[in-house]
Amino acid sequence: MKIPKIISLVTGVMLAGTAMAQDGEPIKIGVPVGLSGANSVVAPSVVQAAELAVDEINAAGGVLGRPLELVIADDGSGAVGAQKAFDSLVYRDEVDVLISMETSAARNAGMPIVTRGQVPYIYTSFYEGKACSPYLFVNAWVPEQQVPPVVDYLMSEESKTYFLVGSDYAFGRGMLEFARNYIEATGGEVVGEEYLPMDGTDWTSIISQLKSSGADALITSTAGGAPNVTLTKQLRGAGVDLPYANLAVDEGTAKNMGADAKDILISASYITGIDSEENRAFLAAMAEKFGDELRTPNDLSVPQYEAVYLYKAAVEKAGTTDTRAVLDALKDVSFAGPRGVISMSKQHHAPLTMYLGKVMADGSVEVVDAFEAVDPGNQCPNL
Amino acid sequence: MTLILDMLTSAAILFIVATGLLTIFGVLKIINFAHGAWLTVGAYCAVATAHMGLNPWLALPLAFAAGAVLGLLTERFIVRPLYSRPLDAILATWGLGIVIGQLITLWFGRDVQFTANLIPGTVDLLGTTYSAYRLFALVAAIALGLGFSYLMEGTRLGLSARAVIMNETLARALGLDTAKIRTVTFMIGTGLAGLAGVLLTPLTSTDPTMGVAWLVGSFMLVMVAGQSFGALALACLLLGGAQVIVSTYVSPILGGITVAVLAAIILRISPKGFSRA
Repeated sequence: MKIPKIISLVTGVMLAGTAMAQDGEPIKIGVPVGLSGANSVVAPSVVQAAELAVDEINAAGGVLGRPLELVIADDGSGAVGAQKAFDSLVYRDEVDVLISMETSAARNAGMPIVTRGQVPYIYTSFYEGKACSPYLFVNAWVPEQQVPPVVDYLMSEESKTYFLVGSDYAFGRGMLEFARNYIEATGGEVVGEEYLPMDGTDWTSIISQLKSSGADALITSTAGGAPNVTLTKQLRGAGVDLPYANLAVDEGTAKNMGADAKDILISASYITGIDSEENRAFLAAMAEKFGDELRTPNDLSVPQYEAVYLYKAAVEKAGTTDTRAVLDALKDVSFAGPRGVISMSKQHHAPLTMYLGKVMADGSVEVVDAFEAVDPGNQCPNL
Repeated sequence: MTLILDMLTSAAILFIVATGLLTIFGVLKIINFAHGAWLTVGAYCAVATAHMGLNPWLALPLAFAAGAVLGLLTERFIVRPLYSRPLDAILATWGLGIVIGQLITLWFGRDVQFTANLIPGTVDLLGTTYSAYRLFALVAAIALGLGFSYLMEGTRLGLSARAVIMNETLARALGLDTAKIRTVTFMIGTGLAGLAGVLLTPLTSTDPTMGVAWLVGSFMLVMVAGQSFGALALACLLLGGAQVIVSTYVSPILGGITVAVLAAIILRISPKGFSRA
């Protein structure tokens, strides 16, 4: 009499278990990200993108029957915070993989810990290039992918002489150095190159030099956020209406700048206006999951979303979460996401479709041109 | 021609930013290190005005009022006990600046905010096209300077304030309510800082730390100028002009430190700066 009851109870539990389809231990994904400091403006959008990917994958049965679990850690956008974040993720939480958008300083500080702990690490932020490690994969753009579309477009619009303006730091100078070499290699001329410190606010004399230089076009690469806005406001205030390519502005900032941002050219691997089934589905899912809390998806958050799926594909191909096997598989797998089909097949970097966008009067970004499968170049010849 | 306009308008913007600090330093002998925070508060008044859909020009009186009211509270509760301890006052106002910055971050978030440009576009002037807003800033600086001269030289409040500057004990003995004069002066100083914050919005991004960059420059200028508005105008013209020349002919990175370096040299040669008082 009692036995059937127990049996039915046991089968009930088992049924509930199979209904969830995930009896195994969760696979832990560590996300060290700049919730405080310089990256704090963009970090929430990155976390949201990771959350959506994990939710979708778990709802569809997880990976190898195991659910995914996110472990978020604040890296303070810098080296010191990153060491703490990586240490606690790798050694205390014992995560199976690290997937994150971070500053270059944070990434460099975390790499020795990644190497010692032997954890696969997918880096999802665009950066200055040439970061190489057997454990590191990158699915975002490098200068070789971002700058040529802009210059090629300006050249085709009959701009031959260029003025370059940037913030005085590694990324700003690195991008413009690449731009200068590319312009000169393609037959253009750089007539001026000026920098202001990262916290500089007064672009007056640089703008006057730009106006008297007679340049056909302007290319800028400032630090994100405040310097970018300040420079654009002062340029527009001074009546500069040259073709203006901004290597550092994101779509959201451009939108908020309103009329001042009109006609700015931006080059990115993701623009919300990409007309594809995957992108529409992604945007709809984000809007449904986060509602009013939604941070606009962008060129830093979408690679994070895709990287979770790339990791899923690699684990499924390898049949295990074992580091060695997953690293081997990551080279080969691909995922069709909002940015198109992504595969980190070129020396741990990804050939990407780059979009050239132009900011319209109402703040929306219109895709002017798309450059398919732009090669990242030789980032890590030894891998 | 553009160079001369750049020099004049850069000086004007520095003057607008520094007047609030000079007002407080001149009369109260207190360095108000929360000055950068009041600038930021002023700029966020412009943001709030834009959010409420009001005419952007209304941000000017709003920011002056907000600055003055906050200045009243600050003077009463933080600065008043510290008049005889100017070094502690620097610490207290510096700390207050940090607190205000954090409160703004909590309220508006860390993101860069956007406001409408008060005067967009350019005007043709003597053969060059030049930013209309920078020319307006020049006019605003002159109006501010003349208005303040009138306040100090032509009104009862100015007379009392000058009496406090010259000899506070004697002024009190003559029956002047020096505590009230101090409060009103402090309010005018913080109100002017708020006003300057609004006037900066078309030129810079609005974010919680925007004031810090301007604080150091205006501090240096006020040190050089001492207590006189005429001296401040002179300091702005010389140092601001030098900044533009260095930025144009040498390097904008060096231009960024020109004001600080020149101010240090001037104070080394003449410890009282330009002030003859």
